[in-house]
Amino acid sequence: MTAPTLLIRDLYLAFRGWAGQIDVLHGISLHINKGERVALVGESGSGKSVTARIILGLLQQTRSARVSGLVAFEGRALAKLTEAERHRLRGNRISMIFQDPMSSLNPVYRIGEQFHEVLKRAEPRIAPAAAREKAAAALADVAIPDPNRALDSYAFQLSGGMNQRVMIAMALANEPSLLIADEPGTALDVTVQAQTLELMRDLVAKHHTSVLFISHNLGVVREFADRVYVIYKGRIVEHGRTADLFADPRHPYTRALLAAVPRITGEGVPEIDDVSEDYFQPLVVHEGCAEPEVTG
Amino acid sequence: MKRTLFILLRNPLSVLGLILVGTVVLSAVFADFIAPFPSHRGAVVDFANFNKAPEWPYIFGTDLVGRDLFSRILYAYRISLLLGVVVLAIAVPVGVTIGLVAGYVGGWIEYVLMRITDVFLSIPPLVLALSMMGLLEPTLTNGMLAVTVMWWPWYTRLVYNLTRSEKEEGYVLAAEVIGASRAHMIFREILPNCVPSILTKMTLDLGFVILIASSLSFLGLGVQPPTPDLGSMVADGAKYLPDSWWLTVFPGLAILVAVFGFNLLGDALRDVLGAEQ
Amino acid sequence: MMPPIVRLLAKRLGTSLIVLVGVSMLIFAIARIIPGDPARIALGPNATAEQITMLRERLHLDDSIAVQYGYFVRDLLRGDLGISLYTNRPVTADIAQFLPATLELIVVAGLMMILIGLPLGIISARYRGSWADNLIRLLTLLGVSAPSFVWAVILMLLFAFFLPLFPIAGRITDSYTIEPVTGFLFIDTLLAGNLSAFADAAWHIVLPAFALALSGIGQAARLTRSNMVETYDKPYIEMAQSYGFPEGKIAWRFAFRPSLIPSLTIIGLDFAAMLGNAFLVEAVFAWPGLSRYGVAVILRKDLNAIVGTVLIISAMFLIVNIVVDLLIAFINPRIRYSQRAT
Repeated sequence: MTAPTLLIRDLYLAFRGWAGQIDVLHGISLHINKGERVALVGESGSGKSVTARIILGLLQQTRSARVSGLVAFEGRALAKLTEAERHRLRGNRISMIFQDPMSSLNPVYRIGEQFHEVLKRAEPRIAPAAAREKAAAALADVAIPDPNRALDSYAFQLSGGMNQRVMIAMALANEPSLLIADEPGTALDVTVQAQTLELMRDLVAKHHTSVLFISHNLGVVREFADRVYVIYKGRIVEHGRTADLFADPRHPYTRALLAAVPRITGEGVPEIDDVSEDYFQPLVVHEGCAEPEVTG
Repeated sequence: MKRTLFILLRNPLSVLGLILVGTVVLSAVFADFIAPFPSHRGAVVDFANFNKAPEWPYIFGTDLVGRDLFSRILYAYRISLLLGVVVLAIAVPVGVTIGLVAGYVGGWIEYVLMRITDVFLSIPPLVLALSMMGLLEPTLTNGMLAVTVMWWPWYTRLVYNLTRSEKEEGYVLAAEVIGASRAHMIFREILPNCVPSILTKMTLDLGFVILIASSLSFLGLGVQPPTPDLGSMVADGAKYLPDSWWLTVFPGLAILVAVFGFNLLGDALRDVLGAEQ
Repeated sequence: MMPPIVRLLAKRLGTSLIVLVGVSMLIFAIARIIPGDPARIALGPNATAEQITMLRERLHLDDSIAVQYGYFVRDLLRGDLGISLYTNRPVTADIAQFLPATLELIVVAGLMMILIGLPLGIISARYRGSWADNLIRLLTLLGVSAPSFVWAVILMLLFAFFLPLFPIAGRITDSYTIEPVTGFLFIDTLLAGNLSAFADAAWHIVLPAFALALSGIGQAARLTRSNMVETYDKPYIEMAQSYGFPEGKIAWRFAFRPSLIPSLTIIGLDFAAMLGNAFLVEAVFAWPGLSRYGVAVILRKDLNAIVGTVLIISAMFLIVNIVVDLLIAFINPRIRYSQRAT
């Protein structure tokens, strides 16, 4: 059996600050198999986004961060790689899409120039003409009507939806095996968000890309993910296949989250005002969703 | 408040700023008690001890008529600080009010007020003050006037920009919907939100007013002798470089220490109050 | 339809012209409301009543201030700023003689400000929190904490007297006689084909220009640092990092370029401060420039010369600011394409 694309086991994260140590992740475990779309769902501040940054190896550089536990990409523990090797993964084997497409693109360079940078990550010597051709093809893949015009534009000249498509095209341009989507398109309006997510789902299915989909929005997750992890205050509280979890939520926190869904119908952060002791109940794992054994 | 102080004292540079400013202010206030030769602030001559290199009891040396430089620097601090406080006490209310009105009221009033501000801002600060001092009599009062005239536009600009962005904030719109008066809007809703930035700038500016005032007197267009002034001390001493180096070096360093202290303190305040530049 | 950049230029030129008219009114008003009779002050205590009457007539002092301003504007449009009461020559001729030396000084100082200040700021922001950052922050704060005449005196003491690396004062060694063609020594020495004189002039300008540049260097570095640190929190930096772009490239293309825009505005203002601070540095280094002339005419209450000097300096300031605005438009595509200036 091949190693999962991403395997996280007992991941701890704490920040050392002047007010003492703040624990952010209390030993979370998750995995994503090849071509699988897995969602990590929780409120803001639950530790979703820091997990993404640890996978990319960005948080480990922060001096105040204390990270321990296993993060393995395609069977290789990140901690055992050299910094150069980890660096080679970024933008190449692992890529990421951010919340706000408008502010995630450099405002003073044209889309084409930024696309060229991205393509250089896989092919450092790629010629500008070849890069342009490749970029145009990638933009055509995300249904951008006039790719060449988009490449000559600045981010502020395109609509939010267009920028989001550009971000998706960039993220998939180097055929990564893992795509991390951190609340993609939350800043966009609901219909645009739905369109771009559908587009993204088709593309990752075509390329067999594994996806870690980070979201607070259960409605979106239900459409997009194969499996779901629910995270609460740095702990995974429930894990199961999407259909099972939505049909039969077993953890009190998941139930509270789901109860909040109708109010949000696609947008907004679920507001769960009253914090219940029940939310700290142990992890519930649905049938057939055990974490794989760690080998090697 | 306790938290503010804690953040302030955590940074060694802020502490250094606090110490420097404290020293400067205290030595200016208590110059009469600290200065070894209080009478040397005025037109005293002591030719027996003229142009002495630093040695006890003249720790900074003496000038060309035998006056103790250390004592004169303490009294010069007093004049500089007085000038700084007076200039800011006039320039800040004037500048802030104009900035608030221009930013909030808008329309042709905004256009006229801001173009007038631009006029003052487009004459290099020192040049404007110099021309005024040259044409008026060079007295302390006129010095304050000249520096004030060049100083208010900077506050107008700062507050104008802040007002423009505050105007779009929800709480301002909310108050407008309720039907608050213009004066209420300007002084009770918008002004309090500009205070951190104004306070920070004032702290920094106390140093810069000292700097500009010393520049004026360095060119002979500021406070006139025998009143001790750091700028004119440097100017007088510069003719006797390099032999009588103490005549320029100590007053020069005195300016540096004071301005540096206010700068450190201003930076610290900016961090604590979260003011915008 | 005009390209946005031309429209921007036209708009800025228009505003600057309005401001310049305002400056001329302001300085004219200040010059005319001084207590006492300007003619008597200018001619000194030994002047005869006849001389004073003649001068009053020449300066139109008996007319109302509005009429006087009218005469002034009429002459100004003919390129005539009046006669200096101090040198007895046309003010324009005086300014033309002294301006090049000052411009040369300011241009060199401005280059130092940009070439030293910006890299210091970039290094500081790129390695924020490190010892290098702390050292740069401390030094640059010291730089802005003393007036340029203090730096001038300290530099002169250290590098001209104690360590005689540089000349003490002046623009060029007296033994060189250079025919003034443009007034700019760097150009004139080259025109004369005299390379050793060129080197000598370059040697003379180092200390005064550095003294003048120090506070600007500090300001530019501090500002670049704080803007870049702010930019480092922007999502597109994180995106660049997540794509594994090289750190150097992120610092330069992603953090520095966008934060250069606010820095440039301040650099323009610093340039204005230099126009004023040149007064101080020229005094210390006996630099034969416009500022020395300015102080001399101010001390002698030479009305025409004061008004002329201030006007020229302000015009230079406004020109620098237009150049800065155009540079910003060049760097910031948002302005270049949508023309949302200021």
